[in-house]
Amino acid sequence: MSKPASVERDLLVFSIWAVLGLGGLAFLLEGFARDSYLVSLAGVVTIIAGFVAHIVVNGVFGCSFKPGEAALGIGVFGVLALVFIAGWASGGLSQNDYWSGLTLFAALGFGLPIYLSTRYGLRGAFSRFHLKPADSGKPNA
Amino acid sequence: MSSVDVTVWLPLLALFYVAVLLYWARVAVRQSEGADGFFSAGHAIAPWISALVIAGASLSSWFVLGGSRQIAETGFQMPALLVAGIAIALPGVVFFKRLWFVAERLRVSSQADIFRVYYQSPFLVVVSTAVALLFAVGFAGLQMRAVAEAVTLLTDGAVSQLAASVVLGFVLFAGVGIGGIRAIAYFGVIQTVLVFTSIVTLAGFALLWSGGFGALNSGLLALSASPEAASGFLVDGVIHFTAGLGRAGEAEGASTAVANLSLALAFMGFQASPLALKLVLSTRSPNGIAAGQTWVTAGFFGGLVVFAVTLIGVAGLLDKGLTLDALFARLQSQSPWFAAWIFIGIVAGVQLLAGLALFAAGEGLVRHVYKPYFNSRLSKTDAVTLTRIAVAILAVVAMVMQNLTPVTLSALAAVALPAAFQLWTPLLGVTWLGWITRPAAMTGVGFGLAGVVLTEPLGYEILSFFGLELPWGRWPWTIHSAAWGMAANIAAVLIISAITNRKALSAEALEVRKLFAGALSVGKKARGLRATAWSVALAWFFLATGPGLIFGNAAFVTRDGETMTWLLGMPSLWAWSLAAWVSGLGLVWFLAYKMEMASPVHVEIPPYTPPRRLETDRSTVEQERVRTLIITGAAGFVLAVLTAFSFGG
Repeated sequence: MSKPASVERDLLVFSIWAVLGLGGLAFLLEGFARDSYLVSLAGVVTIIAGFVAHIVVNGVFGCSFKPGEAALGIGVFGVLALVFIAGWASGGLSQNDYWSGLTLFAALGFGLPIYLSTRYGLRGAFSRFHLKPADSGKPNA
Repeated sequence: MSSVDVTVWLPLLALFYVAVLLYWARVAVRQSEGADGFFSAGHAIAPWISALVIAGASLSSWFVLGGSRQIAETGFQMPALLVAGIAIALPGVVFFKRLWFVAERLRVSSQADIFRVYYQSPFLVVVSTAVALLFAVGFAGLQMRAVAEAVTLLTDGAVSQLAASVVLGFVLFAGVGIGGIRAIAYFGVIQTVLVFTSIVTLAGFALLWSGGFGALNSGLLALSASPEAASGFLVDGVIHFTAGLGRAGEAEGASTAVANLSLALAFMGFQASPLALKLVLSTRSPNGIAAGQTWVTAGFFGGLVVFAVTLIGVAGLLDKGLTLDALFARLQSQSPWFAAWIFIGIVAGVQLLAGLALFAAGEGLVRHVYKPYFNSRLSKTDAVTLTRIAVAILAVVAMVMQNLTPVTLSALAAVALPAAFQLWTPLLGVTWLGWITRPAAMTGVGFGLAGVVLTEPLGYEILSFFGLELPWGRWPWTIHSAAWGMAANIAAVLIISAITNRKALSAEALEVRKLFAGALSVGKKARGLRATAWSVALAWFFLATGPGLIFGNAAFVTRDGETMTWLLGMPSLWAWSLAAWVSGLGLVWFLAYKMEMASPVHVEIPPYTPPRRLETDRSTVEQERVRTLIITGAAGFVLAVLTAFSFGG
């Protein structure tokens, strides 16, 4: 991908997450604050819409998630999971909060293999994680 | 909700915003190669970026901050506000494509450059720079002040207005000063998307808290039945021959049809300003102009104004607890994450406009005034450095004025749009009306600016300082200063063009005329539609923003004795404005595509090679100019002081 195209793609990605990512987060928090599963669900749907839009942009520009994006996504997922577990352990979650969190993690958790399998096929998706020792470029000991 | 919940989100999102801004400034710097990259992005900005950012700067935060407040105070008296999306998009349709080709042919990148090369007029260059300064210091400064006030409101006074404006000014400089026009364009995309979402979300909250669209309109219907509020749902006649605001012409009686028409003309100043043209002339192709002006500016953002911004204003009209400030305060207490997100979006919109204005003004001062007339040996690198310094100084001046001289700031802001509208005549001379001569364009702009200043508070405050009292106030006969200025402007242009040599064109101007007569000449089909285009455009202006608005007062209302019914379930003027927006969108599309005024063209434009001229050392002349400027300035200052001392109040 040429440099200008890469910049344009990044601009679209930033714009998508500025709107759908932050908007989804706001709806999620609103749902937790109002103890409303429906409002939280709107947040989850918005975040999923963000992922879909990101994938569409990737498709248009013929590329995949960048390593930095994947790392950031996994990092944020980890932080959210930690916060959720901490909230659950401290007993600070209501029934609706609990289901809202589970919905988000389920959607993201199932979404990743679905995305990979649609993009690379079932076998190819597995290969994304199953790195053979030779892949590291070092000779086997 | 804990106090941490309430206070943490705004600074958190603000930090995130600054981090993203700096990231894009860095990207811009890495992409820029030399001074041209800083000033014009190497003419490489993608058309879709340009279209989006122009729309965002043209119609975003200033409409939420100003438009919604006006609707909340005066109701539907000024429907021209509601159809501003169309009025703002029209100049882009008329000018952008042709000016892009002029710039491509002559290898220039700003409005002042075009005036310098085409008219060879230092006066027009200075006026273009002055207009950019008015936008940077006055127009954008006023909005930065409103945003700083909102920060104080949202933080419950923990952050003072001064501190907020200092931080906002610094952030602004960081983006513009580091990255130049490329950073403005790149980050402008994110700012535009953010502000669009903010407006929609804010309108959603306003609607929700008003009880829904039906309840909102029921409330409006009840309000319109009360005698004291009924005037808020009517355009008050065609014209009132008053002496103007502040001279026995009070604001209540100033919402006439011609006030609306002339306000629409003022809106048409924005895209004739050096700000919008800076972006257009930094774009790599003109082929996005038609789509950008039609679908993004007139369609999308025009729709946003007539629906969402109006909704926000109307909610405030009905319930003072839902005015813009009250909405933010309520959001902050109930949903601080939404408050922070929406507010950052509004700030983004204001900063987009302010950044663009500061950049255009800084560039104008250094590249178009200082370098050509006072220091022609200035290197490109030094020009960049000086522009950064100029941007920093202007940001500081704007910040100081926001906090110390809000009345002057407001007076300067008020003349920005009408002054930019006066640039229509020289721009028309370059693009469509080749018979407008150099002296006519200069005199027209001079007369136009005089007309604007003399019908705005800035003019009568200055004259009052020198002991002269004008017999009229602001906007005499309920006509906005933009129209007064343009009347004087057109009169001067017509008379002087008639009596001066219309064939006395510079070599560069001749090249431009050849370009428009050749590769860019209008097609046969479009020429055949000229009469239709004029008729449709005039009819639209008459009905949507002019005297035809009187029909809108009662077009969608039936009366059965004392009972009034709104046929479309909404105020008649709102429905009329919706119809005007839809038909206006058709007008913009027709002019852009069918009349080929902005339609895509695929022709190669080779750069113009000027005849070789002998390079001479101009340093002596430039030093002489500096001396003359200092002496004239000093003499003018002394005269001004003496006059004010002798006659001033």
